[in-house]
Amino acid sequence: MHPILGRVERLAAYLAAWLVVCALLAAVFTRLGLASVEALALLLPLCLVYAFVCLSAWYVSRAVPLRSSSVIQVLTSSALAASIASGLWLGLTEAWITVLSSTEAFAPAAERYAQQIPFVFAAGVLLFLLALAVHYALLAFEVAREAERRQLALELLTRDAELRALRAQIDPHFLYNSLNSISALTASDPAGARRMCVLLGGFLRDTLSLSSRQRIPLAEELALADSFLSIEQVRFGARLRVDRRIDDGSAACLVPPLLLQPLVENAVTHGIAGLVDGGVIRLEISRRNGHCSIRLENPCEPEARPARTGGMGLDNVRRRLDAMFGPDASIEIHAGAAQFRVELSLPCTTSE
Amino acid sequence: MALTVVIVDDEELARAVVREYLAAMPGVDIVAECANGFEAVKAVSDLHPDLLLLDVQMPKLDGFEVMELVGRDVAVVFVTAYDQYALRAFDVHAVDYLLKPFSAERLAAALGRARERLGRHEALPIREIAAAARPSPSYTGRILVRDGPRVHVLPVRKIDYVQAQDDYVCFRCDGKDYLKEQTLAQVEASLDPAKFVRIHRSFVLNLDRLARVELDARDNRIAILADGRRLPVSRAGYARLTGISN
Repeated sequence: MHPILGRVERLAAYLAAWLVVCALLAAVFTRLGLASVEALALLLPLCLVYAFVCLSAWYVSRAVPLRSSSVIQVLTSSALAASIASGLWLGLTEAWITVLSSTEAFAPAAERYAQQIPFVFAAGVLLFLLALAVHYALLAFEVAREAERRQLALELLTRDAELRALRAQIDPHFLYNSLNSISALTASDPAGARRMCVLLGGFLRDTLSLSSRQRIPLAEELALADSFLSIEQVRFGARLRVDRRIDDGSAACLVPPLLLQPLVENAVTHGIAGLVDGGVIRLEISRRNGHCSIRLENPCEPEARPARTGGMGLDNVRRRLDAMFGPDASIEIHAGAAQFRVELSLPCTTSE
Repeated sequence: MALTVVIVDDEELARAVVREYLAAMPGVDIVAECANGFEAVKAVSDLHPDLLLLDVQMPKLDGFEVMELVGRDVAVVFVTAYDQYALRAFDVHAVDYLLKPFSAERLAAALGRARERLGRHEALPIREIAAAARPSPSYTGRILVRDGPRVHVLPVRKIDYVQAQDDYVCFRCDGKDYLKEQTLAQVEASLDPAKFVRIHRSFVLNLDRLARVELDARDNRIAILADGRRLPVSRAGYARLTGISN
């Protein structure tokens, strides 16, 4: 669709610009000896017709796009199209002059015009080139806007997919193993089995409700991680030990939901679960100078085979931190032989 | 005669369910409970049980590795929360595959199948089957060698070369030799071909150990290792070597 003809407001602006051009040309013609009435009577209809001729520059800009054509191609095609258009412009001018000169009042004007043919031709070329430049600019503008629109749509889709992936992030094996623990406890420790059911129910409910929110206070995220760890402690017994050092001031900091949970889950499944004697998961959170720093550390089996897929959760955390805080937040991973550490730093924003 | 059973699971509660179910079943004798794969291999060697109830995901040695090491001597029922290993489990001729959480009836059915299998006394090439069921295409990072009740874990980067010896292969690692009942072709297939090359009918060499290749008096090629050891290189082996280094 033609970018100017297709939109009324653009066509109006375009024609208004041509009126200005017409006035300028008329000023030049009066300088060359025509009366201003004569110049306007000559130029006004011509400019109006030529304005529409110049709209054909659209086809040139489409046929020879700047991005995929050589400079020579662009120059020759522009020059050729401008010459043809200007030839037409010249012909129209001649014809109009002939018509006008049949009236007595314009006869002297027609004579004076004859000397200005090169100037008229040059003006035609220039005006066409100007129109061509405008079309090229409009084309580039539309391409850029289309790309932007697509990028936006993509971002929306990605976010949607991420949210869905997040909901699916509750590892079904975590559920199966927890149910197996409950099955074991029902005979030996009925009260423990009931406690486990309550913990598991709370964890599932919180995971689902938190993941539908944009940002949550760190305290809620911590509570979720705690209930996850309590459940895993029933399963792993003394093998799983937790050392928490949480700065009270950090509780209100807003974070994307399920920021800590996948990290804590990794620490258990890729760390503690691989160790015969288990170990200690250390979680330290402190607030300093408007920044909240979170440090999670777990031991891991040095000989563990690398066919583990811990990258997905970490990648997800990294991208969500980036989406929410941009360059103000950072995530650092230290993968030692027997120790794994994740350090997050994020600006402390609160709801007030 | 009672069915002798060893329970292998790294979680105490998971062992407790099995123990509780088995206690109510007549003719079953729990001879050991193991919390990891090494203990399981030792228990099989020392106690010769009829049946292993074997978890898959465990520290150190996983269930499939335990199966590869002792599967010839004992019937195995896998017990796990992960259903994605079921096909592999039957590929290695496990008796049954229980998904946690499971009922006492389901466990009884598995024991029934185990009794049936034991009654038939069929000999299965378990080791070959287990090796073939190894999750590909990633190459193995370690070699497991069973030495009676003990298991040696050899990281492949520490292996100098592997030599075929009749029905066995010999792994040269850290100055010691380790024998394992396997073919050299199986070993070669499990090792990364960018790091290990079959230089001869009887030798697979770790390329990191290769210092140079020389010609001896009779125009045979000899690989000289970093420690001075000399291994024969066949014509085809030399072609493979040059194919790698080019």
